[in-house]
Amino acid sequence: MAEAVLFYLFAAGVLAGGSQVVLRRNPIYGAVSLVGCFFFLAGIYVLLSAHLIAILQVLVYAGAVMVLFVFVIMLLNLKEEELGELRFTFWKVVGLVAVLATAAVIAWRALGPAYPSTGPARDNAILLAAEGFGGVKAVGRTLYLAAVLPFELTSLLLLVAIVAAVVVAKGKI
Amino acid sequence: MVDFFHAHQAQHYLVLAALLFALGAAGVVLRRNAIIVLMSIELMLNAVNLTFLAFARFPLVANSPMQGGFSQGHAAVFFVIATAAAEAAVGLAIIIAVFRSRTSVNVDEFDSLKL
Amino acid sequence: MEVSWLHLIPLLPLAGAAVCGLLGKWLPKAWLYAIALVTVLLSFCIGLTGFLRLPEEVPIFHEVAFNWFSAGSLHVDMGFLFDRLSGALTLVVTGVGFLIHVYSVGYMDEDPGYWRYFAYLNLFIAAMLTLVLGDNLVAMFVGWEGVGLCSYLLIGFWYTDEEKAYAGRKAFVVNRIGDVGFLIGIFVLFNATGSVSFAQLGVAPLTLATASIAALCLFIGAIGKSAQLPLYVWLPDAMAGPTPVSALIHAATMVTAGVYMVARMSHLYTSAPGVLALVALVGALTALWAALIGTAQNDIKRVLAYSTVSQLGFMFIGVGVGAFFAGTMHLVTHAFFKACLFLGSGAVIHGLAGEQDLRRMGGLRKYMPQTAWTFAVATVAISGIFPISGFFSKDEILAQALHTKAYDFLTLGPGGPHLTSLGTILYLVGSFTALITSFYMWRCYFLAFEGEYRGPEGVHPHESPGIMTSPLWILAALSVLSLVIGLPEPWVRGSFLEHLNWEHFTGRLFSPPRGGPPAGFSPWPGYLVALAIGWAGFGLAWLLYAPARAASGDDRFAALFPRLRNAFANKFWVDEFYDWLVVRPLWSFARGLWRIFDATIIDGLFINGSAQLVAWVAALARRFQNGDVQRYAAVTALGVLALVYAFLLRSSP
Repeated sequence: MAEAVLFYLFAAGVLAGGSQVVLRRNPIYGAVSLVGCFFFLAGIYVLLSAHLIAILQVLVYAGAVMVLFVFVIMLLNLKEEELGELRFTFWKVVGLVAVLATAAVIAWRALGPAYPSTGPARDNAILLAAEGFGGVKAVGRTLYLAAVLPFELTSLLLLVAIVAAVVVAKGKI
Repeated sequence: MVDFFHAHQAQHYLVLAALLFALGAAGVVLRRNAIIVLMSIELMLNAVNLTFLAFARFPLVANSPMQGGFSQGHAAVFFVIATAAAEAAVGLAIIIAVFRSRTSVNVDEFDSLKL
Repeated sequence: MEVSWLHLIPLLPLAGAAVCGLLGKWLPKAWLYAIALVTVLLSFCIGLTGFLRLPEEVPIFHEVAFNWFSAGSLHVDMGFLFDRLSGALTLVVTGVGFLIHVYSVGYMDEDPGYWRYFAYLNLFIAAMLTLVLGDNLVAMFVGWEGVGLCSYLLIGFWYTDEEKAYAGRKAFVVNRIGDVGFLIGIFVLFNATGSVSFAQLGVAPLTLATASIAALCLFIGAIGKSAQLPLYVWLPDAMAGPTPVSALIHAATMVTAGVYMVARMSHLYTSAPGVLALVALVGALTALWAALIGTAQNDIKRVLAYSTVSQLGFMFIGVGVGAFFAGTMHLVTHAFFKACLFLGSGAVIHGLAGEQDLRRMGGLRKYMPQTAWTFAVATVAISGIFPISGFFSKDEILAQALHTKAYDFLTLGPGGPHLTSLGTILYLVGSFTALITSFYMWRCYFLAFEGEYRGPEGVHPHESPGIMTSPLWILAALSVLSLVIGLPEPWVRGSFLEHLNWEHFTGRLFSPPRGGPPAGFSPWPGYLVALAIGWAGFGLAWLLYAPARAASGDDRFAALFPRLRNAFANKFWVDEFYDWLVVRPLWSFARGLWRIFDATIIDGLFINGSAQLVAWVAALARRFQNGDVQRYAAVTALGVLALVYAFLLRSSP
């Protein structure tokens, strides 16, 4: 009961925040709505028993990454006339139609009969998340046992990204 | 409404992910401000994360064929988040560098690799 | 007996070649000579040790060095087979090869490319040893091609001279014709027996048709490599190379590979008696043909080259009448005396500062006595005058031809006459050739060493240094000593020489011909005839080219047989004939191909056409590449839509 209500609430928040990102002309509003969107998304993750990922979403995305965005927006400090108007061209319309059609196809497919119904008949052990599913221990075991090499490579990737960001943004070193 | 949700839980999450992805993609295609394009990309990445988690929670098969069970989906999301963070850092750095040379953040003005 | 040291025999010269070729330019001369000579000498020592230790019961050493390649049912090992035949040839190749290396140190010392020369020479020794020792046809083919390559490299050694480079190319191309035959022969044999190793081919039952086709194809290879009719034309031109090379490659070793191959495949050839008859016929014709041309050549090396072709013809008569031991025995003795002759001619050329024309020599015995004496010994050997080795080995071939039973059951068509008289014909042709051989070799000797000096003014003929004369003496001694392997068996039965007798020595190696070996015959009549022929040739030469008036000998010869001599001197116009038959049509054909295919289709259509196509497509595609990333994103979205549609909706159950 509460799950359904929360889902619709969070989903509405996610879509509202996301649409603000796309529609708002000033990027600072977009960034702030994106933070809100991410918070609601973290709520959705909790509904999906992905507790660790939900925390990471808040810490990394809503926290670190969005701070970076806001920082850059402030740094550039674009004036009103520099923000630019939304112009529709032929190709933008084509792209928009293609994007919407893709989403429609996916939604159509997801709602279709191919995906098994999770109605009361299948309200069984698979549905009820296993004990500890999505927690630090379960995800950590997967990360460190099944995916240890990509995990270590990720740290390398982050290091490279840090160095690259510094080199690119600094101009003169 | 509640029964409808419980009967089609997975579908709800997936449709939400599709809508979110469409929002992000529309932002990438439509908006001229590079920062907003970058944020739209973050939206698309999050839509993907949502599908990963939805499938991890509501698998199509009883047992995961992969080592680590359905937590593999969570691990994938973990990597996507890390990559997205790296991508945001580098992307924003590029925007700063480009802004410095062209005093503009409009992607439709970035149509040449040379100055 | 399986051993593990056989691979060293070809590997050592190969290592020497690698060192000389890669580092030779920077090595001190003495080191380079040491490396080149010592590797060959070590090979010789290993070969000699192995030869002396060959077990009495099964005289075979065998080694599989490594599995070279396997493809389906084809398994090819890099294996080495050391039996009495290949062992003896190993000794000849490394022994004569070493002597020629020694000689080359004197001959090539002043040439700036000496390091290249020794690298090639060592590489040749390695390839030749692979050819001789290979235990299967494919390994033999590796050596076969390797010696061909070295031959090409060494003929064209002075490649800045257009004519010499052309001679190298000619040798290579003509040999290619034969090599295709050799390859097809290997394919046929593998197809028929599923194996390429000599051990299995030596016992495999073969139908007459298969055996004939395979034997014929392999023999085409032998014709190319051993310079027989009609592919002999490359060998006289091969004399463009340095003289020691002519001695080693184009006289003593490489060109005898065809004979060796036929002897090695004796089982196959005795299974195909028709081809065997063809081998003998080709050999006899070549022997006569080349000997006739040899009578009227003026270049000392060309005389020797034609005599080599002629002697190879003799060897093919030997193997072609089923007397494989006789052919291979002549191979061994010929290696000694022909190497000696060539090195002698090299010494003459060296002493006359590059003069090769017999008409401009004469009287050299006074100036270079050692060369003259050794040359005379070798001339006696090749003209078959008792008692030097050539007499025995050549007469063995002729006697075997006269008494052969290899063709007794061959008929020309159903009910046709038997070919029993073929052996007699071969004998007559061979004996006549022997007469001519003796004649032209003595002519050569008289013109070069007797009479008055007619050489170029200002050149002072001089004897070669000791490093060049000592190989001459050793080879001359070997020419004499090798007569012991040719002594007829009845003479040596019971004494220690019996073991050295070549027929006895190689007794179990070769398959007997279909009709069996000739029954015991007395060697005496053949010997008397051969002796008479040898002296008759000497007499003829003396009549025309007697020392006192050698210079005008050619005119007397021309006065006797004007048309014939003209034909001989022009080599029967074979080169011109081939030029007209093959080379010119090929040139025109190639020119046409170049015009049509190269210039029009390849250059015009494919090269420029493809470039224009790309340019056109690029001009079109450039319209889409305007740098607007959002348009790219839109197009990508279209693509994604198509993919999603295809995957999600079209493929749904």
